[in-house]
Amino acid sequence: MSDTPAVQVKSLVKDFRGAFGRGMIRAVNDVSFEIASGEVYGLIGPNGSGKSTTMKALLGLVTPTAGICSIFGRDSTKVDSRQEVGFLPENPYFYKHLSGEETIRFYGKLCGMKGAVLRERTLELLKLVGLEDARKRRLGGYSKGMLQRIGLAQALVQDPRLLILDEPTAGVDPIGSRQIRDLIFKLKDRGFTVFLCSHLLEQVQEVCDRVGIIHKGSLVREGRLDDLIAIEDQTEIVLRNATPELLKRIHALAANEEGVELVRSGNPRTTLERLFLRETIQRDSGKLNPVQAIWEQREGDSK
Amino acid sequence: MKEKKSPAPPEKTPRWAEGAYEKAGTGEGLSTTPHITPLFSFSRIGIIAGNTFMHLMRMKIFYFLLVFVLIWLGLNIFKLPHTAGPESVGAEELRLLKAPLVGTMKLFAIIIGIVATALLIPRDVEDRTLYTILAKPVPRLDYLLGKLFGVLLLILAGLFVMTLLLDAVLAYRTQIILSDFEQVGRVLVEQQQWSQKDFDGAKVELLSHGVTWSLQAAILVIFFEAAIIAALALLVSTFSTSTLFTVVISTLVYFIGNFIADGLDHFRSSSGIGEGTLNELAAKVLFAPFPDYRPFKISDEVIAGQIFPPDILGSLALSTGLYVGLYVVLSWFIFTRKEI
Repeated sequence: MSDTPAVQVKSLVKDFRGAFGRGMIRAVNDVSFEIASGEVYGLIGPNGSGKSTTMKALLGLVTPTAGICSIFGRDSTKVDSRQEVGFLPENPYFYKHLSGEETIRFYGKLCGMKGAVLRERTLELLKLVGLEDARKRRLGGYSKGMLQRIGLAQALVQDPRLLILDEPTAGVDPIGSRQIRDLIFKLKDRGFTVFLCSHLLEQVQEVCDRVGIIHKGSLVREGRLDDLIAIEDQTEIVLRNATPELLKRIHALAANEEGVELVRSGNPRTTLERLFLRETIQRDSGKLNPVQAIWEQREGDSK
Repeated sequence: MKEKKSPAPPEKTPRWAEGAYEKAGTGEGLSTTPHITPLFSFSRIGIIAGNTFMHLMRMKIFYFLLVFVLIWLGLNIFKLPHTAGPESVGAEELRLLKAPLVGTMKLFAIIIGIVATALLIPRDVEDRTLYTILAKPVPRLDYLLGKLFGVLLLILAGLFVMTLLLDAVLAYRTQIILSDFEQVGRVLVEQQQWSQKDFDGAKVELLSHGVTWSLQAAILVIFFEAAIIAALALLVSTFSTSTLFTVVISTLVYFIGNFIADGLDHFRSSSGIGEGTLNELAAKVLFAPFPDYRPFKISDEVIAGQIFPPDILGSLALSTGLYVGLYVVLSWFIFTRKEI
């Protein structure tokens, strides 16, 4: 694996001027983190905590007051660093006068692509994001979910190694949200580095390898997701088809053991989102779609 | 603890994803050659300009041509009153046809120059489209030049179509009026009310109001004016936060630019200061950021029938280039430092 981190943010500080140039507002305060190549990293925090400013600094859209941001070792204030990045902003609108296909072609041309390569890439990306049928429609007629997916396609057009996603499922319904998350899984499988900003914690938990928690401009926690959310002094055992007698014996065993406390037992719950997906998709098609099938398989494996 | 498992790959993986990016995580199969993005690239500017042009076209801006056609139809239905004598009645008719049409063309060029330019950057910021463009390897100068050239391309295309219509209408009307004039003129010469010299002079005057190179040059000067105002609107939009502010300021500067030379003359005569004095220099410095549009009024004189002096075209083109260049450099300076 390459030693150069995909993303390096070192002691980043960003101040903004207050109204009429009075005073300074510190949006990001001494934030440092690294994202290794091939990793999915989630930056979470409440609204106004500095997530988007950190992303913008990484993309060179704002200039850091202090500190360094780099992408694959290249200073992110330099235009060259953006050869390796694909970016999807929160609630993107793009040019409404362009069709889905024209949009991808436009962004591809900006990256120096042309001819048959661009044509082929455009069609492949439209297929990847499931918008082949809507490729000739103008974006003015796209739903929010479709706009997010075309946004993902434009972000991927020049084959970047790093994908930066700002609230990729904001304002999208649960089905669209699931499709976008599934795309992130696909990209992760193919070795893309993904930097994700969101305040939808379940989404981050599902896709990210590592997370950072940013609050009032400062990075308060950072590390591997599994390490951060594990409750060290508790153990979870999930049984299938356990009889009441077996459960009684387990309860008794735990009660007889010194210092051991049985905290909880009962049926595990699914989430409302999974229930919603199952009910809506099954009602519409009478069978599971590939996204749901993947989910069901994952649920089955974890049981 | 629940273990996350990634989904199985789709049935048919896209080729581009199977290639280098299968190995993206390992860094294999990827170019390690550092990319060097040039300060500006003509092809990238062309792409942004083309997109801007198409954007404005699809906003149905060319409906303005309908206004042009309606004015022409109106001029055909309602003949404007004129007070010319018989020796120049034909020329007067052509001038009355030409002046409103060229005026409409100028209005189109100035309005598009201000409004379209003022609309572009704030809208891109508002829709976050600017983020996606600048997140690609696109230098900010390329973006600014692309937007400006897109607007200029639209103005040029609009003026070109309108010039074709104007020339066609004017050639047709000139032919009819010339034929009438020759009939009437010959009778007047035969009746010795006109000398041959009067007849020839009136014919030359009539033809000078038809389709001439001077008229085409005057329309080109209108484009120069629009280019300056569009570059100025671009500059204002780099620091303004609203389209309305950009439109108001740019329009104001346009009006100031139209009266600046007269204002300086008035200042000189009323204060009694001579040329080259410190006060005059201070006044010139004060008004330096405002483009002086007086030399561009030559187009109005051509519509009145004057011949366009060819040597002026070069100096007007140079002056336009300098103003546009100055405003673009200032725009770039501000936009590079802009926090988006």
